[in-house]
Amino acid sequence: MILPLGVVGYYEAWWVQIVKGIVIFAVALQLVPIVLIAERKVLGRFQSRYGPNRVGPFGFLQPMADILKLLTKEQFRPRTSAGVMFAIAPAISILTAVAAFAIIPFGNVQNIFGEPVGLYGVDVSIGPLYLFAFGAIAFYGVMLGGWSSGSKYSFLGAMRAAAQLISYEVSQGLALVGVIITAQTLSLTGIVHAQGGMWYFIPQFAGFLIFLVASFAETNRTPFDLTEADAELVGGYNTEYGGGRFASYYFAEYLNVIVVSGIVTTVFLGGWLMPFGIHPPGWVDPFVVLVKMAIITFFFIWVRATLPRLRYDQLMSFGWKVLLPLATLNTLVTAIVVVVTH
Amino acid sequence: MSAVIFFIAAIGAISGAVGVVVLRDPFYSVLALVAHLVSLAALFLLLRAEFVAAVQVVVYAGAVMVLYVFVVAYVGEESASLGERMRSTALGSRRMRLLASLAGGALLAELLISLLGTGLKAIDSYGAAYHPGPRTFGTPAYIGELLLTRFLIAFEVASFLLLVAAVGAVVLARRRGGLGEETVTVERLAPLHLERPLGTGTMAEGVEGRGVAPSARPGDGNGAGEPVREREPVR
Repeated sequence: MILPLGVVGYYEAWWVQIVKGIVIFAVALQLVPIVLIAERKVLGRFQSRYGPNRVGPFGFLQPMADILKLLTKEQFRPRTSAGVMFAIAPAISILTAVAAFAIIPFGNVQNIFGEPVGLYGVDVSIGPLYLFAFGAIAFYGVMLGGWSSGSKYSFLGAMRAAAQLISYEVSQGLALVGVIITAQTLSLTGIVHAQGGMWYFIPQFAGFLIFLVASFAETNRTPFDLTEADAELVGGYNTEYGGGRFASYYFAEYLNVIVVSGIVTTVFLGGWLMPFGIHPPGWVDPFVVLVKMAIITFFFIWVRATLPRLRYDQLMSFGWKVLLPLATLNTLVTAIVVVVTH
Repeated sequence: MSAVIFFIAAIGAISGAVGVVVLRDPFYSVLALVAHLVSLAALFLLLRAEFVAAVQVVVYAGAVMVLYVFVVAYVGEESASLGERMRSTALGSRRMRLLASLAGGALLAELLISLLGTGLKAIDSYGAAYHPGPRTFGTPAYIGELLLTRFLIAFEVASFLLLVAAVGAVVLARRRGGLGEETVTVERLAPLHLERPLGTGTMAEGVEGRGVAPSARPGDGNGAGEPVREREPVR
């Protein structure tokens, strides 16, 4: 069998895909506690304190303790909640987050035990659209959670989340259009291949910034964490949640941060490519991607420690009056440049 | 495998569509519609139309249904009373019911005509063959090319229509005063005013001699000699 190395849109045998599905879920499950402890440690350093340091060496087992505590708690729900929806909503959030994780390419097609395996969940021909499709469904996880809780804080949080996700998804999508025009492909591995000469955060710097800012809103991170502004909404859409269901929301939220870091890495930071023309062996690729993702995730935490929360109307007018026109302009200029230089 | 997925998606689509009509709570109706649209997207995926499936989810299940959810969630109570109105036997509701069944019948007839006219011929065949490749039928590149060559005018007219609709919505909202200029003056109260009543030794009092006069109001509550609790003007 000819090894289809470097082929875009390659699909493996069915059993390889099942194994990959399990591996992806396992990797996603492992990454979330790491990001959790990293966030708490780094935030601690930013605020001149130690952060968690009691459980395990240097407190590194703290997330395990947290998760264990949450999972062993009693499952309860408010009397005003709408039963089935209340239980389904966190599951939707977690499902869409893991599904979105599947398209992040951690490497090219590699030869593993004589079997060509792409180091990604699936290399879809529609690329980023897959991401936005699951983003659209993820909205229902938040929305249903807030609505079915039957409490005004949850409801307000969910409504804010809805408006925010919709507003910033547009800018996020338009920021990616510039990259797609430049790379002339929708496949994420294809986009990485196209960055062989130069990573896209240089020619698409405006798109990079817009995507990053919009991603903060999409993942409900500070300074755009209006959906769970604890000063005004108690806890936002997950106010009424506790125990395992709250853990699901929490998990999905951090997984979304990881997914966004992965997308930024893939689309703007050259994916598994190394700078200065270094070509390491194939098994290094996933680690390159992970390091880049760690840098972006650190940036997310850094911003959380630095910036205060915006006001809600500021968030909306910034999204529609600043970010969206900029993203449109970026797309337009990119299209003109590509047409002129071809 | 594809048959299993087909039946799951088809049953989901039909039960979702039935649910939209049958369910009493408008919020659940909207959710049923979402389930219907997502099932349709799965059917598109089975037909190897990945782009159409993704757009179906992004545009319909995402953008359009979000608006529905918004409206229903905000005015949910009132739309429930709309359902009550429909069930009552008043004259207006009877007329409404007649009109609704007429419109539904017309739609059904139209669907049947189109189905009998074209769809049945394809049932016995296997349809168009699937050729995997970067620029074959159904891929985003192919659809984009068609949109900008063969269907350019229809595409542009549709986008222009959407633009007109968006501008029109803004104009209508403005005319009704929905988006009027913000004339509400915001009253700001600094935390200092709440924490420290006058007469508790602020620097301003010491310098300007404000608020140290004994209380003129009887029964102020906190004993004699209490300073006048007049708040300095809110800036």
